[in-house]
Amino acid sequence: MGFLTQTFNGLVGGSFYALLALGLAVIFGMLRVVNFAHGAFYMLGAFGAYVLLAEAGISFWWALLAVPVVLGLLGILLERTLIRRLSALDPLYNFLLTFGLTLMLQDVVKSRYGSQSNPYGAPAGLRGTVDLGLFDFPAYRVFVFGVAVLLCVGVWWLLTRTRVGTVVRAATERPELTRALGIDVGRWIAPVFGFGVALAALAGVLAAPMRAVNPLMGADLIIGVFAVVVIGGLGSVFGSVAAGFGIGLLQAWSEAYGPGLLAQTLIFLVMALVLLFRPAGLFGREELPT
Amino acid sequence: MLRIEGLSAWHGEAQVLRDVDLFVERGEVVTLCGRNGAGKTTLLRCVMGLHGNQTGAVHLDGDDITARKVHQRARRGLGWVPDDRGAYATLTVAEHLTLPPVVGPAPWSLEQVHEAFPALYTRRASPATKLSGGEQQMLALARVLRMGATVLLCDEPTEGLSPLLVQQVGEILRRAKALGVTVLLVEQNIHFATTVADRHYLLAEGRIVGHFDNTDIHSREADLLAHLGI
Amino acid sequence: MKKTLAAGAALCVALSGCGGGGPRGGGDSKLTGDKIVLGVLNDQSATYAQLSGKNSVEAVKMAIEDFKAKYGDKAVTKNITVESADHQNKPDVANTRASEMYDRLGVDAILDVPTSSAALKVADVAKAQKKLYFNISGATTDLTGKSCNKYTFHYAYDTAMLANGTGTAATQAGAKNWYIVYPDYAFGQDMEKSFKAAITKGGGTVVASDPTPFPNDNFSTFLLKAPTLNPKPDVLGTMQAGADLVNVVKQYNEFKLRDKGVGLAVGLMFLTDIHSLTPDALAGTTFTDAWYWNFDAENRAWADKFSARTGGQRPTFAHAANYSAAMQYLEAVQAAGTDDADAVVKQLEGKKVNDFFLRNGEFRAADHRVLHDAYLAKVKPGSEVKEPWDYEQIVKTIPAQDAFRAPSADCKL
Repeated sequence: MGFLTQTFNGLVGGSFYALLALGLAVIFGMLRVVNFAHGAFYMLGAFGAYVLLAEAGISFWWALLAVPVVLGLLGILLERTLIRRLSALDPLYNFLLTFGLTLMLQDVVKSRYGSQSNPYGAPAGLRGTVDLGLFDFPAYRVFVFGVAVLLCVGVWWLLTRTRVGTVVRAATERPELTRALGIDVGRWIAPVFGFGVALAALAGVLAAPMRAVNPLMGADLIIGVFAVVVIGGLGSVFGSVAAGFGIGLLQAWSEAYGPGLLAQTLIFLVMALVLLFRPAGLFGREELPT
Repeated sequence: MLRIEGLSAWHGEAQVLRDVDLFVERGEVVTLCGRNGAGKTTLLRCVMGLHGNQTGAVHLDGDDITARKVHQRARRGLGWVPDDRGAYATLTVAEHLTLPPVVGPAPWSLEQVHEAFPALYTRRASPATKLSGGEQQMLALARVLRMGATVLLCDEPTEGLSPLLVQQVGEILRRAKALGVTVLLVEQNIHFATTVADRHYLLAEGRIVGHFDNTDIHSREADLLAHLGI
Repeated sequence: MKKTLAAGAALCVALSGCGGGGPRGGGDSKLTGDKIVLGVLNDQSATYAQLSGKNSVEAVKMAIEDFKAKYGDKAVTKNITVESADHQNKPDVANTRASEMYDRLGVDAILDVPTSSAALKVADVAKAQKKLYFNISGATTDLTGKSCNKYTFHYAYDTAMLANGTGTAATQAGAKNWYIVYPDYAFGQDMEKSFKAAITKGGGTVVASDPTPFPNDNFSTFLLKAPTLNPKPDVLGTMQAGADLVNVVKQYNEFKLRDKGVGLAVGLMFLTDIHSLTPDALAGTTFTDAWYWNFDAENRAWADKFSARTGGQRPTFAHAANYSAAMQYLEAVQAAGTDDADAVVKQLEGKKVNDFFLRNGEFRAADHRVLHDAYLAKVKPGSEVKEPWDYEQIVKTIPAQDAFRAPSADCKL
């Protein structure tokens, strides 16, 4: 029983890795930008939920809808005004730009709300525990897992079963060829960036009831998410999701049954092994030379 | 019709095309011959708008499209068949055929495509990179025909194909030509070129060094082979 | 004669170019540069910024103003200033900033320095430079153990005090079986050791003890594990601090451990942590405080002055201790008539004092541990909170002599 509980718990923990890695993968695929600001958008998502509740009395459920939309639009604006300008240069410049953005966003939030953690609780209907047959589990965490799975499946459906998905996959894999086939790839870049940002924001809203809401909450998490993305294969959507849930599982198991030191270094250990033996990631493909 | 005027292009410091002029009439098949490195692929990329560092002008049906973006050129009827066959690993064969928009007045229907290329129907759910080289080449051609492209820019479509498949490519090109499609064909296989082309341009070190009708091919054969280094 | 000398010296300073010998700014003042500079070195942007941070700089300014008001013209100098810097909780940054403060900014005494590893680095700098250092918000007992030195005083609290209070008291109150989780770095390891000792001393047992990553936002594995341990622990002792603590408590409530019979004891908690988590999330949680703003009228009076200058925030013990340390240092300089570090240390060693922070205070000469009363506290449920920041109920005052450990044999001054 303990093992099953810990296993499910690992999947819940992996939900956040999966959602964040998914957004990073979609963005990287389309823009070839490693969006360092992803953690900051996650933080803004959680803060959005907190601010809406504390200053306007707006509930978790509305925040879950509104915050990703607003931050997604902000992402589109950001792509149009800043990121696009650097797209012709070495991707490193956009990495630096988003790193700078991260620091700015963190400091803006810090100067307005301070660096302490802010209170935010689970929505009224999800404060109890639910009986999952074999074990009880906090209802809110079950909900988070459900949302994460739904979103991952939804994005997979969007990418594989819709016209938009075909275009995004094509533009991700071979942008030049796709343009030469009459598709205005540029038109899709900002929305895809916005979509990735919205996913991060949504993960942030989901995190608010169960994690400390403070300006640095994304900064620590994003390093782990980068490792997940590397393990899954940079730009591989399926790989990111699989690696996200997989790392969540491994962490829970190693924390519960392994020595303390292993749990802390596991994610980076796995990353190092993957880089040694499969540099393109478990599900990644080698970049085609251009 | 397609007309190129005073086209020059550079790779970094190195000039790869020097003041190229050429034209292809509507419904004509014209080959561009030359050794490796003569600038043939760069020329096609320039027409498509994919090569950044270039001067000169490209006219399509009387309009100057030099300032047009890549996807706008495609939408004006340019169909690119790249030298690597342009297969996506993440798209199925069927998705390859439906990905590009219809850009011309006479696009092939899916039925026509499947009839002409039965393999593309049986393999429709496979990732395109799992197809054989020949099948991938057929897919690249089918894709631009499905778009209804009026000007095909084919970059060595017969390279690496078996004689049987080369023959098949020839049939497709003749069939397209019969429907009024214009083709600019980069080709090293002279014998194949003579079976489909109306005219030939000879490119050497980025310059047009020869231009003759297919009917003159025998009188100019020595000239041609000398330039191709065969 | 003396008068002329002083006038001459004053003229010298005014013209700032007397070629002759003799110490600059001489006169009867024995202060370097004729001024006192206090340096507040702490976290001004991250986890520990709220519990101390910039408001501690404000507290030190209050101390300077109060000192000047108290002594007026008799003050050893009127030129007392504060420098402050952000060490970002990084030992190497703390090291650089501390050297900079002593060397370049003419700082006479450094105050605060949270994060144990950074606190220890600054102690080394103080020792090397022979300048004073009052650590306020660092917790490690090494400051008065193997890393102690003549110029370092550990002012407000340490892990032994926390463990003595919370560990021993809670065990004696009936929580016999403990499950400890601690962040895997110097502070957490030190806390775990201290708590284990205190719990055993109180007659309890540590059933299990797990290190956790630092920082960490997901403690669910440990919280799921807690009730399945054998024997089942009566209490979960968390040694996390800052945002990590917020995560533990939030998730402790989510997993309903209190309903499962596992209580919560927090190793180190600041008033600001309760504010972040809301008292309801922590209601009934036991912890040890070094000072509480609403304990009595004297504390409250100072807290009111502090809040008026900081936008309504009530002070944590770190804010109060920074004020107190600044004041005690200035008093010592006043008494010694010089800012010479050795003379000030001589003034302070063994000194018994009472101020609103140091109740029954003593600058213990043996190891430079500053002793004072500590408090065993409980978090009030939201329904009992009468005003903002009114979160603590003081259960018991732990007398200064019992609150801290005996001088360590590792410390050789």
